[in-house]
This record gives sequence, structure tokens and C-alpha cells, in this order.
Amino acid sequence: MFKLIFIKELKEIIQSSRFTISFAVCSVLIILSFFMGAQNYLASQAQYEAAVQENRKQIAANTEWIMVNHSIMLPPQPLMALVNGISNDIGRNIEMSGRGELRADNTRFNDEPIFAVFRFMDLEFIFGIVLSLFAIIFAYDAINGEKVGGTLKLCFANSVSRASFIGGKLAGSFVGLSIALLIPMLIGCTLLPVLGVQLTSDEWIRLGIILASGLAYFGLFLALAIGISAMTNRPSNSFLIGLVFWIFAVLIVPRASVLISGRMIDVPNVDDITSQKNRYRTQLFEEDRPKMSSFKPEGTDPQNVMQQFSSYMRELSSKRQEKIDAFTERINEDYENKRREQEKLALNLSRVSPASVFTLASTELAGTSLKLQNRFMDSATDYQNVYGNFMQEKTGENQGGGFRMIMITTDDQEEPEYLDPNEMPRFEYKPVSASMATASSMTDLGLLILFNLLFFGGAFAAFLKYDLR
Amino acid sequence: MDDQHNETIKQAPLLEARNLTKVYEDGVKALDNLQLKVHPGEIFAMLGGNGAGKTTTINIFLDFIQPTSGNAFINGVDVNKDPLEAKKNVAFVSENVQLYPNFTAIQNVDFFVRLGGKSNYKRNDYEAALLRVGLQREAFDKKLKDFSKGMRQKCGIAIAILKDAPAILLDEPTSGLDPKAGKEFTRLVGELRDEGKAILMSTHDIFRAKEIADHVGILNAGVLVAQKTYNELKGVNLENLYVEYMAGYMEEATGSLINSLAE
Repeated sequence: MFKLIFIKELKEIIQSSRFTISFAVCSVLIILSFFMGAQNYLASQAQYEAAVQENRKQIAANTEWIMVNHSIMLPPQPLMALVNGISNDIGRNIEMSGRGELRADNTRFNDEPIFAVFRFMDLEFIFGIVLSLFAIIFAYDAINGEKVGGTLKLCFANSVSRASFIGGKLAGSFVGLSIALLIPMLIGCTLLPVLGVQLTSDEWIRLGIILASGLAYFGLFLALAIGISAMTNRPSNSFLIGLVFWIFAVLIVPRASVLISGRMIDVPNVDDITSQKNRYRTQLFEEDRPKMSSFKPEGTDPQNVMQQFSSYMRELSSKRQEKIDAFTERINEDYENKRREQEKLALNLSRVSPASVFTLASTELAGTSLKLQNRFMDSATDYQNVYGNFMQEKTGENQGGGFRMIMITTDDQEEPEYLDPNEMPRFEYKPVSASMATASSMTDLGLLILFNLLFFGGAFAAFLKYDLR
Repeated sequence: MDDQHNETIKQAPLLEARNLTKVYEDGVKALDNLQLKVHPGEIFAMLGGNGAGKTTTINIFLDFIQPTSGNAFINGVDVNKDPLEAKKNVAFVSENVQLYPNFTAIQNVDFFVRLGGKSNYKRNDYEAALLRVGLQREAFDKKLKDFSKGMRQKCGIAIAILKDAPAILLDEPTSGLDPKAGKEFTRLVGELRDEGKAILMSTHDIFRAKEIADHVGILNAGVLVAQKTYNELKGVNLENLYVEYMAGYMEEATGSLINSLAE
């Protein structure tokens, strides 16, 4: 009986005009998001390559390593273009210095501020917003529509158990509508290599899990809509309740959780912290000023005096920097701890909503979650050590801002020797691997499965008590 | 069918309501100790106004609602105890047959007949049943959304025929049909009775009930106030009888209400 109802449901869905419209819209949106993602990735890749080349040219145009202003960039990843996460919101460039705090600048929205307003149409948007709504539109009258239509009574005038009916209906609806999603997904995946986006096997695995979690997310909204339909007598009521739930789950809960956690855990303002750091730096500098004035060189040879002065200032600067670093580390740690606590609370609160769970899972798998910023900064900090050592070796000093006096002498007889950019250590950003991404998204993937079980179970239980008349 | 055989099957009713009582949650008594039996080859017509308890009776037979007390049996199986087994023995045609609008007539018949447990039919069998109920061949592969009520009723009776259950429940099946379609429907129900089916039919249509029913029961406020056989109804003005019973019952009911209030 289950098979019969399952096949009937499948046929009914596929023959309906609602399916035709949904299939057309889903196909256009999903294929478009793959296409746009691929185009964005290729454009970002070209920009990145150009910036790297520019960096190398800038090194090659110099004759002294001390004159080099080196910056590193976050390399684009194909999955970043498909599931944007925070990749467009964080700074992509870091002006490198051998020591001191690093700061990432130049977000994607600096270049294209219009997208800060309207955002990109990525897979997370398509699934999170559009398809979840489609699931509700599709299934809001799955049960009460049959009741109003009169077919439910005719079905149950036969020897049909409620369990096989609702089971067949849930499975048939899910499989039927999954077809509408799987076909454009497969076309989208085929488009990637055709458009020149080559994914590694690791990225294919992650993309596969993202798409599977998208289907699970879609499935839970479908089950929810069927469940609501099995708890109400009129399709208009179930549509309204479904819509209200969708608004709360997709639009309100994620934002409200951030607001609530902000109220519950107080985190100092970034501007306050910066001004505290600046005040401390100024204070230390003022403390050192008398020492700077009391500098007395030995001898009168200008080159010797210059060297002594540089060495004296370097020593002062190093001691000051140590104090600044210690202060910064303490204040940053305090800030980071509070921020993480607030963030953790916000994320946990938001997990009440399946929409947040899907967003967290998909961005984690794509490597564009909140951790992206930390990963980029950690890679940059690792590189900073390598870069600092390299510059120390090349220039005899570790650049870190502060006072610096350079004297370059040239001999007209000698042809200046230009720098070899290949000598500069390469910055390597390590993207998240499939195993790491899956491991860190396990909680959210588990929650997606739990929501599915809950909603499918709820729909099942609701129908067992449904008045069939 | 010889008399002896008739006698044998009459001893075993296919549809039986035994002391059926239904009181809804709001306190309304929809059925009060209803007793009825429908034997093979019989049509039992339940007459009564709105809210008399006709549909409640059918809903109990189909396990859509549970009786407060009493039992409903289909082919000897207690509906309350084993509804799935009981429903294997019954076909149902509602007042307004609704099928899946995006399916064709053949697809709908195929689905519902399979749902009724018959999976060995071929398209030819479906076509034969649809032709028998008077549906034009051109309509077989048309979607149900384009069908009139009469055409849908024909599909409904075709499904009931193909299910080939020994008992049939008809819930005001001719309501809203034009006279020609109603007459056609009556003919088909008569044929099914002649094939030995036990048919319980609820209706408002006194004349059609008198025309084809072997037994007519008049329900009022859940009580079977009168029950007459076909022979007893010969020469009787059923309309007058109906009004008389209803009025008499109402008078009695009103009288007892006044008495109870006076006390």
C-alpha cells in the first residue's frame, strides 16, 4: 500500500502545474547560482593572479628589501563563490610587517558596494530562502487539501492504514520534489568544469555534502508543511501557519539570537579597544621621549652616528613594542574571549531555527563560516614569522612600524641590482579539508537530521490523529 | 437466485448496526441505539433530514468516527476491532465523488481500485466498467478537473463495481444529479443489488428510495423512527409517511422536552 501511495504521490506531483512552475523556477535559480558562482570565482581568480603579479613586479622594481611593501591576499576558492558565507565581508588583503598586529583590509564590498545592499545569489540563499519557501508552498495543503477535495475520504474507505498513507505521502512528496532540485543541481555541477572551474576531489566531496544538506533542509520544511497540513482543516490556515513559521525560522530567529546574545554578554567596542591601544602606545612613546633626547653619540663620523642612533632607537622601539605587544595581547585576549562567548551564545540560540543550522552547516563545509577570518589571520600570522625572519636576514632588522631611518648610498659606477621576487617566501593559505569541514559541521548536520526526524515524525503523528471526515 | 439460497444469505447480514450510539464531544447525540441489518441482494435506504444521523452511520461503518457505544459489522467483522479487515468488504460512493483532478479517469480508477486491493485488472477492465456506468469513451483519458459532477459520480460507481466488495455504502449518491443521471445511477444500483451486493444508502430522495429500496428506514435525531419493507410501502404515500413520522417524533420530542422543563 505504501508503494502504491508513494507512486501516486509522485505521479500527482509531477503532473501538477505547481510542480512545473517550481521545477522551472528552481532550475533557473540553481543553475544561475552555479553559473554566477563560477563567473565570480573566475573573476576573483583573475584579480588575485593580477594582484600577485603586481606584488612581484613591485619587488622586482626595488633594489633594497627594506623598501618593499609586501602584502598578502586571501586566495579565492571555488566553494567560496558557491556559498559566500562571510567571504565577501572580511578583508582580503593584509599589508605584511615582520611584527606587530596584522590587519585585513579591502573587502569584496569595497569594490562592489551594491552587493552589500542586495547580496549575491549563492546556493545558501537559494536553499535557505527560496527553496524552503517553495517547500511550504508545495506541501501546505498536502493533507487538508485532500480532505477538502474529498479524496482523503475515498482513500480511507479502503483498507488503508494511516501509517502507510502518510508514509507514502511524505516519501512521495520528498522524492518528487527532490527530482526538481537534483536535476538542476547536476546540471550546475556539470557547468563548473565546462566554465573552467576545476574542483579538487576534496571540494567535490564538500560540495556533495552541501547539496545533500540542502536537500535535507528542503525535506524538513516539506515535512513541516505536511505536518501543519495534518493539524489543520483548511489549506488557507495551514499556509498561514507555515508562512509564519518560515518568517520566524528564516528571518527572525537568526537576527534575534544575535541581538539577545549581545544583550546578555557585553563585549567592548572595537573602537574603544583601538583607542586604548593607541593611548597606551602614545603614553609609552611619551615616556621614551626624554630617553630619545638624551641620546649622545660617540664620535662624530656621520655614518657611525647614524648607525648608533638607529641602533639606539631600535632598542627603544623593541622594548616599547614588547610592552605594546603584551598589552595588546592581554586586551585582545579579553576582547576575543568575550566576543567568542557572545558569538557562541548567538550561534547556539540561532540553532533553534533550521535555517540557521543549514547556514552554519553549508558555510562550514564551504569554508566560509565565521572561522574563515580566523583561518586567514592564523595563516597570515604564521607567514608573518617566516616573513619577519626573511626580512631580518635580508635587511638586518625586523620591520614592525615605528621609527625607521634608512640611508641608501649609491655608487654611480655600479649598476643597481634588482631584487628577485622568487626569493620572497610564498604565502600559503590552507583551505579547510573535507574531513575537517565535515567534522566541524557535524553538530549542524546532526541537527538537520534531527529536525528532519522531528518534523517527519510530527507529520506522521499528527496524521494518525487526523479527522478524516 | 432460489428461495433457499436467499434464505441462507439472509441469515448473515453483510452490514449490521448493533445498538449504535454516537454522542459528539459537544454533547449532540447523533445516533441513539441504532439497529439495522442489510443482507446480500438488499438495498436499505436511510431517509432523514439534515443532522438525522445518516452520514454518522456511514462514517462509523467506514471507521472515520468511533461509536460511543454499540458495534458496526461488515461481513461479520467488527469495524471497531479490525477496521482494515472490515473495509476490505465494502465499497463507498459519496455524495460528491472527488478524485485526483490531475489524473485521467483511467488513472484515478486504477489508483482507487488498487487501493481497494484489486491489482489484477487491465485497462480493458477499467474501460468496460466505465462504459457500463455510462461514461463516454472520449472521457477516459481526460483529466478529472474537466469532469462534471455526474461524470465523477460515474467514475465513483465504476470504482465501487471494480472493487467488487460484497457491501456498498452510498452517501446521498444522487444528490445534485440531473434527473437523467439520477435515473441512470438508480439503474446501476439496482443492477448491483441484483448481483447480490448489500447496499446501505442514505438519501433525501423519498421517491428514489421507494423506487429501488428493499427496506426504508426513517431516521430522526439519531433514532430510527420507522422501518418499512418494499412490500409494506406498496400503495403507501411515502412522502406523507415521512412527514407524519417526522412530525410525530418532533411532537413527542418537544412534548418530553416541555415536560422535563416543567418538572
